[in-house]
Amino acid sequence: MTMATTPGRAPRRFRISKRALPYVLSLPALLVCIGILIPFFTAVFYSLQRYRLSQPWARKMNWGENYLNFFSDPSFWNTLKVSLLYAGLTVVLELLLGLAIALLLQKRSTINNFVSIMLLMPLMTAPALAALMWKLMTNPGFGILSYFLTLVGIDDFRWGASSSSALFTVILVDIWVYTPFMMILLLAGLRSLPKQPFEAAALDGVPRIQQFWRITLPMLTPYILTATLFRLLESIQQFDIIYAMTQGGPGDTLTVFQVEAYLNFFQSTNVGRSAALLMILWAITFFISNIFIKNWLRLRERARGEA
Amino acid sequence: MEYTSPLEKTLRAIALTLVVIFFMFPILWIFLMSFQTNETILRVPPSVVFEPTLTNYQALITGKLETSAASLEINFMRNLFNSVFLSVASVAVAMLLGVPAAYAFARHKFRGSEDIAFTLLSFRFAPPLLVLLPLALYFQQIGLADTYIGLIWVYQLICLPLILWIVRGYFEDISPDIEYAYRIAGHSWFATFRKIALPLAGPGIAAAGLLAFIFAWNNFIFALVLASADKQPVTVGALAFITASGIQYGQIAAGIVLSIAPTLALALYAQKYLVEGLSLGAVKG
Amino acid sequence: MASLELKNIAKRYKGETVLDDVSLSVAEGETLVLFGPSGAGKTVLLRLVAGVIEPDQGQVLIGGEDMTDTEAEDRGIGMAFQNFALFPHMSAFENIASPLEAQRATPGAIRAGVEAVARLLKIDHVLGHAPRELSNGQKQRTALARALAGAPPILLLDDPLRNVDAKLRFEMRLELPRLLAEQNATVIYVTQDYKEAMALGDRIAVMSNGRIEQIGTPADIYLDPANIDIASLFGDPIINLLEVTPAAGSKGLAAQISGVPVRLGNRDPAIAGQEMVMGIRPEAIGFVSAKSKAAIPVDVEAETPLNEKTVTLAKTAGGREILISRPAGTPGPASGKAYISIDGEAALLFAKSDGTRAGKGGQDLETEGEAA
Repeated sequence: MTMATTPGRAPRRFRISKRALPYVLSLPALLVCIGILIPFFTAVFYSLQRYRLSQPWARKMNWGENYLNFFSDPSFWNTLKVSLLYAGLTVVLELLLGLAIALLLQKRSTINNFVSIMLLMPLMTAPALAALMWKLMTNPGFGILSYFLTLVGIDDFRWGASSSSALFTVILVDIWVYTPFMMILLLAGLRSLPKQPFEAAALDGVPRIQQFWRITLPMLTPYILTATLFRLLESIQQFDIIYAMTQGGPGDTLTVFQVEAYLNFFQSTNVGRSAALLMILWAITFFISNIFIKNWLRLRERARGEA
Repeated sequence: MEYTSPLEKTLRAIALTLVVIFFMFPILWIFLMSFQTNETILRVPPSVVFEPTLTNYQALITGKLETSAASLEINFMRNLFNSVFLSVASVAVAMLLGVPAAYAFARHKFRGSEDIAFTLLSFRFAPPLLVLLPLALYFQQIGLADTYIGLIWVYQLICLPLILWIVRGYFEDISPDIEYAYRIAGHSWFATFRKIALPLAGPGIAAAGLLAFIFAWNNFIFALVLASADKQPVTVGALAFITASGIQYGQIAAGIVLSIAPTLALALYAQKYLVEGLSLGAVKG
Repeated sequence: MASLELKNIAKRYKGETVLDDVSLSVAEGETLVLFGPSGAGKTVLLRLVAGVIEPDQGQVLIGGEDMTDTEAEDRGIGMAFQNFALFPHMSAFENIASPLEAQRATPGAIRAGVEAVARLLKIDHVLGHAPRELSNGQKQRTALARALAGAPPILLLDDPLRNVDAKLRFEMRLELPRLLAEQNATVIYVTQDYKEAMALGDRIAVMSNGRIEQIGTPADIYLDPANIDIASLFGDPIINLLEVTPAAGSKGLAAQISGVPVRLGNRDPAIAGQEMVMGIRPEAIGFVSAKSKAAIPVDVEAETPLNEKTVTLAKTAGGREILISRPAGTPGPASGKAYISIDGEAALLFAKSDGTRAGKGGQDLETEGEAA
């Protein structure tokens, strides 16, 4: 042997047993996780109580009463309606717009790459701050957008301040912030599609509009589904944009779930109703997120496989 | 290459221009606004021709707003500091907790590991107020209300799942054989983690950290519920600022520019990893 | 040096049995080749020995000491991986130095050790390179150098020549035995290449479906395979397998090929009348003239001249295909009708039902039971 060193092993160090190691490594994260589960169960508990911060003496279990009250509560139905309307409209519009932009930018070129990077900026803007930016632009006194409208003869468009246009205004901000999200996911999807089917179709003389419906769209479906569900999950819970723009107003025009729950808690101090509202929202998101996670895992598996 | 008609080229160019205008104009406009005095802002019709001034930024940085009527205190720099501190500290904590856990989930398929990973992931999708409102009451009782520690803890709701799932993917991309080889060469698991796994997943960990920072920075609802004025980050602070300063639109614009500049800069810097991060690894960038 | 022993090792993955009651012992300084098709469990077994996978059952003993629960880093093992598994962010030098660093060697000793083993493997000129700058052959040698550098008493080589080109594989096959002998280590060498197995192994363990089918010297395995599968795995061209039903005759057992009796010599008479598969190595068949005793007529279908031998594919009247191998340069028919003779006494007989050896030849009868 040329290097005649006996394998002098280092002295035994402090060791964590093989089986315990993964638990030890994930324990701290786990504890934080549990710390978050506690308030969740508390919320379940609150939702079953008559509990107003202003009347602590009257606090008692009323079981399903908060939930039962919702049936005859027009403001609850308004919340449900506005939330679904907001989520549905933003997601559909963002999907269509995002897909259109992704198709526009599909070809790799310097200008296209530059534009797609530029479009990241709205997405990286805090939604609450984005709402403030649009608030400045839609100010009736000096807002540039209000000014543009006067140029085409619309003088009294009051954007977020009017109940007829408030939903439109917040949806516009949501589209501004989140369309790029749809766009970059779909663009990544588009660019990862195999080339052969398109080449074959081009050789066969299939018109491009047909190629889109018959090849692009079906192959892009997993990406579309994942992006849509993801956005749906966030949009049904939207708070930042709406609260920063109008605080749910005017009146109850924009009292989506989280805004209504927030106002119930801090303004009406009705903890029980607030918690019950959030539980219903949680049930909706739980349902969507289960579908989402399945899709997302499949897509993730595929992405990792390609790596 | 396929043939594109001149008409189609023109239409594409127009569409692209409209897209760029729609998405870029607000940022550009607020940016311009931040260099204007209230007089030029309130001009009708508005114009892009104006004499740029730094007074808005000066007022924000010195914390003193001198108007003809009175001198106003602005706490915006405090908000900016809070944003930096909360985001940095939250990401640091999330890394400390999340990276080892991500490694455990990637390398050891132990009992319940998938369940735990999914529970953590599901926090990403649960309504934040569901946790925040009870927590607001608990924090009052245990003295964490309106403290940095309490906020940093709650920020783990966004940072931890992000770090965990992205970094886990990067660890999984390392061939286990490479780690085995290092172990067999005579090194402990910890040395292997430090000398092999961490350096090889390094770029991914850095990208996840940047993303977590951006999400923490952009968060609004946590601090709105749990923090009072002197602990609030810029997202909440800017809203309060508008209410307080009323008509000082130039300063509001300058405040917004200062508040969004860091995340935009980081996003441009890390854009290569952004797609993968935003989709939690479901789509490769 | 240390001996190595595996006792009743079992391992399952997701309900699938990967290793099924594997026992094995390797003497000090011995080179044992684990041979078998992919999916046989060779790599899993090697990793079990290395300590990076835990067995569900059984024990791993190194130098007589139970190391089943010992961490990989404390087993005193060097291992080379099939995919090299070099540390991509470290230079070749740092790669090779890693076992020495773990032993807390001084910087001087590390440098001396790395350079010595690098010279031995002729990679001393690329020590400063990162793995991605190395050729496949250099990667392979670096991986080997890393396994050897710590002078481990036990060396595990997982098909180290699998991913290198044919020329390098040939060179290394010649070089490795000397290298392994110099190392003075107990070696387990995994391969799917029977020539490598024959060239390198003191003994060969043939694995399939998570079990060890046969252990023996290369000659044992080649001349006395335990079943059809093992017989088919060794030898190039592949062994001829002909279905026969031996019958007892006046001069002992014989099998009919195209109506010509092939004498099987002194064998267990119990196999008479049973359906068997007869295995005959292509080199045990020769061309003869038509007048020879027991000449079997065949049609020559094709002839493939290889370097050192010529392989002929012929067909009997009954449509059986037979491969015949003869040393290059010796005469033989290239086409048309020809006659062959089969050395029936050298034939291996297997039961058709389960492929196990049956009706061993005369000299085998005495040593039966030992091979298992």
